[in-house]
Amino acid sequence: MTDCTKYKNFIEKYLDGIILEAELAELKAHAETCPPCRQELDRCAFMQNAVKQALQPSVPAEQAGTRLLEKLPVEPHRFARPVLLAGRRAAIAAGILFAAGMFIGLALDRAGGLRSAMSPVTAQVPIHVGEVQGTVLVRHEGSDFWSTLEGESKIYLGDTFHAAANSGCVLKLDGKSTLELSQNSMLVLKSYNGETQLYLDHGQLSAALESPHPPFFVSTPHGRVEALGTEFTVTVE
Amino acid sequence: MADESEQPMTRDEQIIRLSLDGRPAAFGALVERYWKMVVALALTRLADPAEAEDVAQESFLKAYRHLHTLRDPSRFAGWLSRITLQQCADSVRAGVRCKTAFGCKATPLDGLEAKPAEPANPGLTPSQIHFVRETVRRLPEKFRSLIVMRFVAGLSAVQIAEQLGKRPGTIRVRLHRAYKILRQDLAPLLEEVEP
Repeated sequence: MTDCTKYKNFIEKYLDGIILEAELAELKAHAETCPPCRQELDRCAFMQNAVKQALQPSVPAEQAGTRLLEKLPVEPHRFARPVLLAGRRAAIAAGILFAAGMFIGLALDRAGGLRSAMSPVTAQVPIHVGEVQGTVLVRHEGSDFWSTLEGESKIYLGDTFHAAANSGCVLKLDGKSTLELSQNSMLVLKSYNGETQLYLDHGQLSAALESPHPPFFVSTPHGRVEALGTEFTVTVE
Repeated sequence: MADESEQPMTRDEQIIRLSLDGRPAAFGALVERYWKMVVALALTRLADPAEAEDVAQESFLKAYRHLHTLRDPSRFAGWLSRITLQQCADSVRAGVRCKTAFGCKATPLDGLEAKPAEPANPGLTPSQIHFVRETVRRLPEKFRSLIVMRFVAGLSAVQIAEQLGKRPGTIRVRLHRAYKILRQDLAPLLEEVEP
């Protein structure tokens, strides 16, 4: 009996689009003489073509390109300029406010009024920031101040995370489990029976948990979801 | 990038540079390159093919307007796919709001029948197309985009990883999970077409 392990590996590479030409030729030659591998290859090709055909547009790409060009403004960066100018004005205004805030903050800090409001009042939790894209803000419980989430940020019970548009972050739990907060999402680490509970206020949270994992829940405004598998996504619109 | 056998070899970055330099016609090449991918992404979220193509068009217009904000032009496809998914979500929300509004056309997610087969689908019957679309729509959220980028846009697992800023291993694992589900769910269709 032929050992087809090598060719099964080739089929996987074929599906992933990373098979080399020589490997593909070898796979095809083998499939000619091996009915199980041929059937496997045919089924993979069928799946690929069926999905491709079923999701075809009715308007051909060339036509779509021509139609769209008629709607495009002459230069995209002309659109950008007002935004940039507005952004610059906003940045200047923000700078002035920031300087004023720093001055007031320092004055209050000297008086001992602000430190307690900005410092977390809850315990640190064993969650680490894995990756941050764009703008993700975090606010500690009992604080009115949002700060930018960074790789070195410490996470505390009661923290609220807000991922802005085109932004997101990955939080690492104990072991290899990770949480991925998508754009336009808000996640709160609440205390539930003395344990950290994830509360997704809105947006999308994906989790990849190592197996086996203890009971894992995500609460939402609509109810509580228990993760039975190792990968899942919760969306709150 | 996408479907190298059919697409011109000019890199996305070069086309984007030309577009930003005031040559909007260059952007047409990107539309042609990624039109199928964007429509397919929309079709995995929206049941109405006409609405999906409208969303695709809006996605390209939005991408063009915000082209200057794209930090890494070599990741245009990933950026465009995120814009498309956002546009789909907006369209679904607008549809849900419109359901209760007098005189507003509702666009429910799963209630619409698939339209008759387009000329570009010679291999499958309309009901089979509907079946395949529904099967892809039932895939977990994060698998759907990967399947479209792989099968429709023709990007390899490694290219998808680059576009989405993920590890190739992660993408391959997710793709293989998606293949497994698709293989299982498409089995009845395979029995229909296999001799």
